[in-house]
Amino acid sequence: MSEIARRLEVIEARRAIAGREVLAGTSLSVEPGRILALLGPNGAGKTSLVRAICGRLRLDSGSVRLGGRDPRGDAAARRQLGLVPQEIALYPDLTARENLEVMGRLAGLSSTAARREAATALGWIGLEDRAESRTRGLSGGMKRRLNLAAGVLHSPDFLLLDEPTVGVDPEARERLHDYLRELRGRGMGILLATHDLDQAEEIADAVALLVDGKVRARGTQDELVRAAFGDARELIVTLARPPSPEARERLGTEGLAPTAEAKTWVGPLEGGFEGLARRGARLRDAGLDVAEVRLRAAGLRGVYFRLVGRELEP
Amino acid sequence: MSRVVFRAMWLTLARDRSAIAMSVLLPIAFFLVFASIFAGTAGEHLRVRIAYADEVDSEESRRLLAALRREAALEPAAEVTLSSERVRELVRSGAADAGLIVRAEAEPLGSVGGFGAPPLLLVTDPTRAVAARLVAGLAQKAYFAWLPDVALGGVVELIDLDFTELDPEQKEEIRRELQRLRLETLEAAREGSERSGDFQELVEIAEVERPARGRNHVAYYAGAVAILFLLFSAVHGALSMLEERDSGILDRVLAGPAGAKALVDGKYLFLTAQGFVQVSLIFLVAWLAHDVDLPGHVAGFALVTLAAAAAAAGLALALTSACSTARQAQTLANVAILITSAIGGSMVPRFFMPQWVQDLGWATPTTWALEGYTRVFWRGEPLSSLALPVTMLLVAAALGWGVARRAARRWESL
Repeated sequence: MSEIARRLEVIEARRAIAGREVLAGTSLSVEPGRILALLGPNGAGKTSLVRAICGRLRLDSGSVRLGGRDPRGDAAARRQLGLVPQEIALYPDLTARENLEVMGRLAGLSSTAARREAATALGWIGLEDRAESRTRGLSGGMKRRLNLAAGVLHSPDFLLLDEPTVGVDPEARERLHDYLRELRGRGMGILLATHDLDQAEEIADAVALLVDGKVRARGTQDELVRAAFGDARELIVTLARPPSPEARERLGTEGLAPTAEAKTWVGPLEGGFEGLARRGARLRDAGLDVAEVRLRAAGLRGVYFRLVGRELEP
Repeated sequence: MSRVVFRAMWLTLARDRSAIAMSVLLPIAFFLVFASIFAGTAGEHLRVRIAYADEVDSEESRRLLAALRREAALEPAAEVTLSSERVRELVRSGAADAGLIVRAEAEPLGSVGGFGAPPLLLVTDPTRAVAARLVAGLAQKAYFAWLPDVALGGVVELIDLDFTELDPEQKEEIRRELQRLRLETLEAAREGSERSGDFQELVEIAEVERPARGRNHVAYYAGAVAILFLLFSAVHGALSMLEERDSGILDRVLAGPAGAKALVDGKYLFLTAQGFVQVSLIFLVAWLAHDVDLPGHVAGFALVTLAAAAAAAGLALALTSACSTARQAQTLANVAILITSAIGGSMVPRFFMPQWVQDLGWATPTTWALEGYTRVFWRGEPLSSLALPVTMLLVAAALGWGVARRAARRWESL
């Protein structure tokens, strides 16, 4: 199968529900062996987009293509999909093994194949010794791993994850990231819907910024950062006290924009450390009570802020 | 795919002790309590507490009250005869179910064709109307059985006055015969022997269509409790569909090749099987503890039970899949089940209800299931007689299943 035919594509997807466009001409594509982070605030349309890809959301216009086929009403096309919902979508009273077997069967595996894949998956996520424990009694991290494994038992071509690390401690989160990298290594195309910028920076090959049902920017991190900042870096100015209206105006003319924190302002900075010194002096001369000035390599956080005009809330 | 949903349902139930208790032990306990509480409502064990007053205090009135005191269905509220006022008080306070006063200002006992008030006054409470009817009947019976001389004496007097005048010799002979009757009843009372009386007994009581063995009302309540809990457990199980929607399992399932139909079908089969086992256990206990003839009616029982379990499963799935939240479904289901069970006869036999409610009952699966069990256990009818009730239950099952499958489709496509 050619690379294009194996792609997951969403083309100009539109859908209005109760007069509000949850998808407003959304387009993106997921390549095999790549992780695309779908980044956006709550209510941006991430879950709707995931549902559209699963063929469960009727589109007013546009289309979804899974390896060239429409998943809506095509069970065979949907077999190429694995879904890891945000919730622990498992039967709490079934054991880890039983859950994997049930989910494998529901994903279309034969009972023999489901048993075999469940055993393999238990080894993969390091839960062999808890295979016969009821899911209810597993730790949060274990449940997350099991939730992930249940979505890939049938070796789908594409994996959709909806906020897979919500409420997970850093260690468990890192472990999940390792699993995702491994799946990418096996050639799986992964769409990771998240509002966690750090997660996107850490494991995504490409990022799509979804705001109000529309992809506002997409590309690799480098591409997005370059488009937003050029060669500039990101300047973070922290004031000793909230600025007066005049001070706000002055900060604006310096190319800085406010954040959710009234005392913290950010913007691009060119000219490296010399530029930083010059800018700092100008702000002080303007009578602003600057407590701290920092410089960092521009990242997704800055890109998001520049494009959307507000911080992505954790 | 339906099979695997069935298996997940089974494992979840097997591991949820409260759900097992809810669907198996609770109905059995309920049935045993129901069977003993309602066993008496047919009346065969009914005992009426009664207080007596005797304003006349004649030999006849004393004999009548003594005869009533010997009646097994009447339990004297006091050992002695009381004043009329006291009798009214006891009835008013509920200490006695009924009071019987032999009145002074009335026709005397034995009077025939008089214009005054009847000699006996029965004081009662409107909530115990059945007790009054029972006492009235027993008083009539005691009068004819134990005071035949008084009753006949009155009749003779009436014949003498209104029909044909008796000559002194005939009157003397009748007087002697009545005296002999009087002594005979006094003798019988002293010996405590049974007396049906000199009058031909008017009524004999026999039960209709009594089965070869077993007790009818227990079979009825086994069915009544079984259907009630069948509906409750079916809803409890069907609610898992909404839980699966909330927990993301539904999202996961629908993202794959399986549709919502597979989920509905798997649950439908499981809930039908669960219901069949549940009802069977109740009838098993009814057989062991109350002698209901289950082994003699296995085929009929199985047929009705399978159809009833399928109907309960279908209706429960239809109801839950049409609701948007578990809380909404639970509330709606509780109301629907209680109304259905009340109208359908799970709580009180339907013949106690007004005709229009009885007619309404035919719209409930409860009534059809109970009708099926009645035909099997009470009337001992052949299997062919189950065609109508079983068909009606299967129609309900198919309708519910169809509605549930249709309603679940809205989750497939948003």
